[in-house]
Amino acid sequence: MAANLNLKVNGQEYQIKVDPAKRLLDVLREDLGLTGTKEGCGEGECGTCSVILNGKLVNSCLVLALQADKADILTVEGLAENGKLHPLQQAFMKEGAVQCGYCTPGMLLAAKALLDSNSSPTKEEIKLAISGNICRCTGYDQIIRAVESVVKARERN
Amino acid sequence: MAKKRGQGIAAIIYGTGYGNGFPDVSSATVEIHDDGSATVHTGAVDCGQGSDTTLIQIAAQELGVSTENITLITGDTDSTPDAGTTAATRQTYASGNAVLRAVRVAKQKLLQYGASVLGVNTPEGLEMVKGVVSVKGYPQKQMSVAELAFQARFSGVRLLGEGTFVTHTTEVDPDTGQGAPYWPYAFGTQIVEVEVDTKTGKVDIIKAIASHDVGKAINPQNVRGQIAGAVAQGIGYALMEEVNLGEGRINNPNFSQYLLPTSMDMAEIEPLIVESDEPTGPYGAKGIGEPAMLPTAPAILNAIYDAVGIRLNSLPATPEKVLDLLVSKQE
Repeated sequence: MAANLNLKVNGQEYQIKVDPAKRLLDVLREDLGLTGTKEGCGEGECGTCSVILNGKLVNSCLVLALQADKADILTVEGLAENGKLHPLQQAFMKEGAVQCGYCTPGMLLAAKALLDSNSSPTKEEIKLAISGNICRCTGYDQIIRAVESVVKARERN
Repeated sequence: MAKKRGQGIAAIIYGTGYGNGFPDVSSATVEIHDDGSATVHTGAVDCGQGSDTTLIQIAAQELGVSTENITLITGDTDSTPDAGTTAATRQTYASGNAVLRAVRVAKQKLLQYGASVLGVNTPEGLEMVKGVVSVKGYPQKQMSVAELAFQARFSGVRLLGEGTFVTHTTEVDPDTGQGAPYWPYAFGTQIVEVEVDTKTGKVDIIKAIASHDVGKAINPQNVRGQIAGAVAQGIGYALMEEVNLGEGRINNPNFSQYLLPTSMDMAEIEPLIVESDEPTGPYGAKGIGEPAMLPTAPAILNAIYDAVGIRLNSLPATPEKVLDLLVSKQE
């Protein structure tokens, strides 16, 4: 059995038929080919599959695809605009916040969700905002510094 | 006072490479192309530690070209020569050496051809810097690497190089444990400040300073990243991470029960790079992967002792264990 699903992902509208047992993560990766979103634990504990759904950061492994019907979703593929990397992506590169890269899409979206709701967060607020996203490589320090540098650049402008 | 602070220090020596006589071999091949760019093939796999970046930098440095001119192909058993596993803190050292040797062979072929074209009697009379081959002491006489490579190929000279590096290791004497099992050795010292909550037994990390001898930091940002990540793993090892086995099963097989440090558990980490020049390493470099994790746990346990005067003899230092020891100390 397949069900109709209407989605807006990274500004593009999709009308697809999906298996109702699928998770949003599966639809993004398998049906839409947006493999930037990674699967980590598959049970909502690591944050790797984070996407922004109607403005809120969610674990896409814990959202059934049909729960996202008519939703507006942002994945890591939608961060860059007109071929130009998002300031967070540039800062991650500059600060060395990417090592194996597996947590990076989720980290970027967790940071984006924070900056969307709080334009000048403190270091503690940044740490809290990414605390649902596990990174085993960096020790988080470079990631926190990358987000801080975007905040500082915004405050200067 | 419910919360007490303390500082601890720990230093380590760590043998890198497989060690104890185990075969430890890395190989690479290099070809310089008509436009002066080069392709490097090696089995060395980048798991996120940054070996791709490091190997590209080594090849670019030796060829005197920018990193954009190096294509690196790794980890394909159909096409790349074996370079061992990404383990034992060995890829920068062993595979870095293999790449360096391979590049030097290809470069020597180019310079040998260049000597005849530029009218120098030995290739040693030439140098290769910033994409240009020139006569030493007479730089007006020069040719671009690209032009020279192009001419060489049309003269039937293939600019191919193969490099293999074998890490020195011997088996220790099984009776005495003596010998020279590893080369090179990594050294490191860390100082950690902790805060112990004497009501709950919870230990917070305030700051960690991690100083490590890496021989030569080929990519300082990557080295600092390796050190910071290792300290984070050391904090997890010291305070949280424990596989709970019961009747052959893992009782805590998920991240809600096997706790990894999150951003909230992390302290300020200050990585310090010490460059001692390892004479057998590529440009003096040796590995940093594992050794940076080792001093963290003993430094934390020493800091806990400094803060509240208790000695933990098992890891992790969970709040339950710390509190138990604090209570028995008071009794």
